[in-house]
Amino acid sequence: MAGIGFELRRILRRDSFLNLLEAYGLAGIISSGPWVLSVLGVMLIGIISFSFAIAGPEIIQFLVSVTYLMAISLTLSGLFQHVFTRWVADRLYTGDNQLILPNLMGVIWLSTLLSFGLGLVAVFWLLPDTGVAYRLLMLANFVVLCNLWPVTIFLSSMKSYRRIVVIFALGYGLAIVGSISLWQFGLEGLLAGLLAGHSLLFFSFFYTIIRQYPGQTLIRFDFVRRSQIFPALILTGLLFNAAVWADKFIFWFHPDTSQHIIGTLRASVIYDLPIFMAYLAIIPGMAVFLVRMETDFSEAYDRFYNAVRDGDTLARINGFRDDMVIVARNGIYEICKVQGLTVIVLFLWGPELLAAIGISPLYLPLFYIDLVAVSIQLILLAIQNVLFYLDARGINVTLCALFFGSNVVFTLITIDLGASFYGYGFAGATLVSTLAGLALLSRKFDRLEYETFMLQGR
Amino acid sequence: MKFRRSPPPVKADIGLLLEGTYPFIRGGVSSWVHQMITGLPEYTFALFFLGGDRNHYGEQQYELPANVTHLECHYLMDRQDEARPSPRRGNPEAFASQWELHEGFKSEAPIDPEILHEVFRNLGERGGITREDFLHSQESWQMIDRSYRTYCTEPSFVDYFWTIRTMHAPLFTLARVARNMPRVRVLHSISTGYAGLLGTIASDLHKLPFVISEHGIYTKERKIDLSQAQWIDDPSDQVSENLSDQLGYIRRLWIRFFEALGRLAYQKADPIVSLYQGNRQRQLSDGAAPERTRVIPNGIDPELFREVRESRPQTTPMVLGLIGRVVPIKDIKTFIRAMRPVCETIPEAEGWIVGPEDEDPVYVQECRDLVISLGLQEKVRFLGFRNVSEILPQLGLMVLTSISEALPLVILEAHAAGLPCLATDVGACRELLEGAQPEDQALGVSGAVVPIADPEATAREAIRLLTDHQAWKSAQKAGLERVQRYYTLSSMFDQYRDIYNEALAPLLEEHS
Repeated sequence: MAGIGFELRRILRRDSFLNLLEAYGLAGIISSGPWVLSVLGVMLIGIISFSFAIAGPEIIQFLVSVTYLMAISLTLSGLFQHVFTRWVADRLYTGDNQLILPNLMGVIWLSTLLSFGLGLVAVFWLLPDTGVAYRLLMLANFVVLCNLWPVTIFLSSMKSYRRIVVIFALGYGLAIVGSISLWQFGLEGLLAGLLAGHSLLFFSFFYTIIRQYPGQTLIRFDFVRRSQIFPALILTGLLFNAAVWADKFIFWFHPDTSQHIIGTLRASVIYDLPIFMAYLAIIPGMAVFLVRMETDFSEAYDRFYNAVRDGDTLARINGFRDDMVIVARNGIYEICKVQGLTVIVLFLWGPELLAAIGISPLYLPLFYIDLVAVSIQLILLAIQNVLFYLDARGINVTLCALFFGSNVVFTLITIDLGASFYGYGFAGATLVSTLAGLALLSRKFDRLEYETFMLQGR
Repeated sequence: MKFRRSPPPVKADIGLLLEGTYPFIRGGVSSWVHQMITGLPEYTFALFFLGGDRNHYGEQQYELPANVTHLECHYLMDRQDEARPSPRRGNPEAFASQWELHEGFKSEAPIDPEILHEVFRNLGERGGITREDFLHSQESWQMIDRSYRTYCTEPSFVDYFWTIRTMHAPLFTLARVARNMPRVRVLHSISTGYAGLLGTIASDLHKLPFVISEHGIYTKERKIDLSQAQWIDDPSDQVSENLSDQLGYIRRLWIRFFEALGRLAYQKADPIVSLYQGNRQRQLSDGAAPERTRVIPNGIDPELFREVRESRPQTTPMVLGLIGRVVPIKDIKTFIRAMRPVCETIPEAEGWIVGPEDEDPVYVQECRDLVISLGLQEKVRFLGFRNVSEILPQLGLMVLTSISEALPLVILEAHAAGLPCLATDVGACRELLEGAQPEDQALGVSGAVVPIADPEATAREAIRLLTDHQAWKSAQKAGLERVQRYYTLSSMFDQYRDIYNEALAPLLEEHS
């Protein structure tokens, strides 16, 4: 969505190093979104609580509970993620801006209903031997998270990006301060702090969106109309999130690698910590990715389709296609460079980093492979984004299915192979899917004019 | 014993291919078709009507004679229900022969019949080029891409692309119509264009004799339409040297398309009939082989005018008559201007303008004003639409000042009614007045031919004919003789009967 693109271009045009940093910093925050930041926030809460010497098991229970909340809420809202993003983009294109807000209300209403229903079942059946307060807090956190994710779709379309940064700071500030000041209430206190932080984020973003988009009606459900949506996008969102979490779930529930934590929730301490830390490492790559996508690529894309629509020569249309390929290629190269550098730096500082957080150096090899894996996953994300631009919905579903399938299979194999192979399953899955994605993207670009002209209305 | 499935029964002797005319639209061509069918009752006819947009055709305008055994209508601009487009390869060989065909169009040489047969066999067939292959296949895309790069001189690819699609879409409908056509023995198309192409394809697929009769010249008419069409955007170009350069590429593409349809039809058809020599020359320059062309003019029944002829007064009335609609193409103003010198020489002369005046009121008013400004109020009369048989005996000379005509029946009617004519040198007029071939010319001149828009010449010749009794008499005689000998309905029917019998003969032999 264009909002952030304009801002980034404006900042970059000022052409000073500080502006460059500002642009990439902003892009980093917005693109990583609450998902990476939550990992950061939750870990911060954990570390700080740890230093306040709260009882060990409660922190573990907190971290694991939050991880489940994240995993399931992300997967569930994957249902809406792409399909609703596309729906909004189509409405913006046709100029039906006044429909967007009522439909966001609709999405939130549906998402609340769905998450409340599912959450209710889960807290009744999946959390035996836990207190009522814990169950209620889990349910509340779940519903808020499920509503937060759809709202974050709009972050990149917002003009008031400074407000976004401030809201993020306030939200996570509140979460951390809240959790710590409530630590004497144990697990429930920490969850209440997090709930307060995420609620602040959700309602503030929501408020900002309401102020920005016009609307005559309160609530509408146009986004569920078959004629206005692409079912493939529902499947893509669901499968991608399921794929990202597949290896983690396998590790949590495989008897060799997991232990019981709370209710029916299990966790794999050896596996979880390194991978969540590794996820923090993709922030620089994400920033580059967003800047390249929202500025250069979206410009190249517009040039190509304007040339097609406004009657340019075929040679020029081909030329713009080639430009688009170059921009996409450069974007991926740049992600590789930045991410490569980040990975090298973290490889070098890895031991010190783990020591500083107080994690055993035994996790180091797993941390390394996870760093590589999440970096490749970022490239996959970039490829998928280009494919979304090109409206290659079928290819994206295929890639997500491949990612999901290979992650399940490879992870099961590596568990059999033993502890020194942990993480390689996930890394292998990202690698296979990314290579397949590159091949399919390349083919898509080769056939772009043919498909654009000859397969219209597909 | 025959194990072959017996072919379906023959539906009709003649399959008439009609584009936008009979039996839905009234007009010269339609009444000719109706006349043909009624005049040749020994043959059965199947009618294949091709229209553009379904909504442009209302009620059937003619009651079909009993010997019409079949009528089917197809509308080329009907939207085809299409499934969602799916990617496909397309048949490389089929597209290769398409490429050769199109190269052939550009080279002006006749198309190799093998290629033509291959192309028609493939058109609309699975394994050849279906409509979907044309619209969605990679081979098709490559051909469009290559043609655009090789030939298109206009920048907008998207315009070119859609032009190619729109242009070729009806061909698949035509191929289907040709393939599913009920059995007939001879195909007869009343124009080139889409009907001509339908005939070309059907004659190739079913090995049928194919006859073309052209009233106007389709390709020329399309050229005029297209050079004025508003729906084609031309890039403005100030430095072009001539008109053809000024016509944009897209416009020329359309013109070339219809030229190609015409050439294909001429290549396949035998004979190629025109109404008069002038049109035959055009057909020749558009690629028709001279030995296949033939002129069969329209005819009238002179007997119908016997009474009118015999009711003529002994002395020639000093009345010049122009029978026709009052519209610019008839150039009524030249007639009015010519009346001035005529009246100066023959004071009792009058000029009558006989024809409906509702088509172009502005022009009618201009004509009336011109009469007043020339002071001819007493001499020139606007009679409106009248029964021609009543008017003809009262005239001394028939005048036709049109700037464009084909074969005006009104000259034939005047001659049959014993009236000499004065006409401009357009269409078949010179042939009608001076004779087409030597034998015909020997009959003498049945009036006078003058240049278009030339009031002095018109007046001079009119005065000469009206005052020189000898000349008038011989013109009357020549005219009557000419019509009776060459321009009768029965001679037209005879000639078509010959064509049909010639085409049917090998088939009938085979049958017996």
